[in-house]
Amino acid sequence: MSTPAALFANITQNTQIAPDIYLMEIEAEIAEAAQPGQFLHIRCSDTFAPLLRRPISISDADKKTGKVEIIYRVIGQGTHLLCQKRPGDRLDIIGPLGRGFPMPEEGKTSIIIGGGIGVAPLLYLAKQIAKDHKNGHLPLTFLGFATKQEAFGIDFLSSLGIKATICTDDGTLGYKGFPTTLFKEHLSQYQDKSNLIIYACGPKPLLSSIKDIAAGEHITAYLSLEERMACGVGACLGCSVKSSQAGYKKVCKDGPVFEAGEIELE
Amino acid sequence: MTDNTDLTVNIAGIKMQNPVMVASGTFGFGNEYKNFYDINKLGALVTKGLTLMPKAGNPPPRIHETPAGVLNSVGLENPGVEQFIAKEWPCLSKLKIPVIANISGDTVEDYYKIAKQLSTLENLAALEVNISCPNVEKGGLAFGQEPESASEVIKAVREATRLPIIAKLSPNVSHIQKIAEAVVSAGADAISLINTLLGMAIDIHSMGPVFCRKFAGLSGPAVKPVALRMVWEVYEAVSVPIIGMGGITTWQDAVEFILAGATAVAVGTANFVNPMAPIEIIEGLKTYLYLKETNLHDLIGAAH
Repeated sequence: MSTPAALFANITQNTQIAPDIYLMEIEAEIAEAAQPGQFLHIRCSDTFAPLLRRPISISDADKKTGKVEIIYRVIGQGTHLLCQKRPGDRLDIIGPLGRGFPMPEEGKTSIIIGGGIGVAPLLYLAKQIAKDHKNGHLPLTFLGFATKQEAFGIDFLSSLGIKATICTDDGTLGYKGFPTTLFKEHLSQYQDKSNLIIYACGPKPLLSSIKDIAAGEHITAYLSLEERMACGVGACLGCSVKSSQAGYKKVCKDGPVFEAGEIELE
Repeated sequence: MTDNTDLTVNIAGIKMQNPVMVASGTFGFGNEYKNFYDINKLGALVTKGLTLMPKAGNPPPRIHETPAGVLNSVGLENPGVEQFIAKEWPCLSKLKIPVIANISGDTVEDYYKIAKQLSTLENLAALEVNISCPNVEKGGLAFGQEPESASEVIKAVREATRLPIIAKLSPNVSHIQKIAEAVVSAGADAISLINTLLGMAIDIHSMGPVFCRKFAGLSGPAVKPVALRMVWEVYEAVSVPIIGMGGITTWQDAVEFILAGATAVAVGTANFVNPMAPIEIIEGLKTYLYLKETNLHDLIGAAH
């Protein structure tokens, strides 16, 4: 795991890419260390309102340019302040944090499934898998959004040569329905499923569904979880998720990416 | 020039290079913040709360943000004293600063046993006895609420160890001075306060409490005025050294606590917000003392 740093990064871009969804680009030395699935712990305010940092996953990082990107949805006070920041402002970050997605072994077929804002970390993952390319092919990607307006990342994937299968809850873009349904249909094509590796991030129902499918079909699956956090580094034990063994794991330090069998999703 | 400022303090035999500690439960066993600075620069480190047997802790959610504060319901998750000694202590014992073990128990006997076990550790600087954790049904709360039960726990720990004992008081009491007097007569060498304030949050969508255990512990800047008042009161009641904590985020906060009567201070929730907070507080204290042309010892309780 890379060593996290606490630093101020220069914001180079912060633009709205869909309703309530923003893409922020920063210049930070951590671009070199950032792995897909890892996150930044961001202090959105200089005051105590809100007090805690906000964990936001890394949606892209480029060693050469030293740029790191995050894509976030404006939900509460913290992200509202975040979206008001301008290029040239400084961003108080700790990162990169957490255990990211392990890269697929050679010869594996990667399948990426994402829903809503959960698509963000999968973009960086897709890029890294595509770049590796020793697997012979690009990751198969299934993405779901509420509606056409809220879709993002499709052009990014296209630029990598990845043609994502898109669906929306209302059918305004791609198929009408959930990405898990499409994935299930797709899965029936495979005689031998032992070669597949699944990567997923999105709402709880999506993750639960993937976890069930993976368990039933004996496919390795990695899920990226979200939980409210305080410290982000494993000290406060606040962001717990039930372990399938005993006790709890910490989303910030043991995750946010877990092998589906490691954890219980209620 | 300010580098020569003398910040050393001695709390019941615990020699600290400066009065800034990190509070139990906010710093794990010292591993998590090593990436950000040399933790040997701290005054002392207090471990995550330990119990005799391992504790899995409470089901999620465990934290909930409030205005300038955080409610937590971690439930004393810890590996138990044996695992602590086997896995965490080898690394902790190599630190150059005093390490203080924070202990909790369900029964007086638990406190006795855990104190006895930890007393075998060479280099352990002191025990901080948590008689106040509001998170576990059978836990510290009952002990810390009454002078008699608080005294009983400290007496048991006193019997079990020759290490300095720091009694960590709960703010969820009506007469903090009586509890302070009771733990000192029972053998406490120092007092730390405050632990978290009992609070709660309700989810207006599910229309029920946010936390499984309903109530949770409030910390952060929101509790600072309460903590400061209690340090003030305890300073007037007892003569043992006080470690002040509760919402300390800046060096100005630390100075307030020292002026109220604290010999040392502990940084808790602020670690989560700004990992560099303890270091910034140490630096700020030095500058303050230099500019005020005073020394730390003259500052303690000077506001009274």
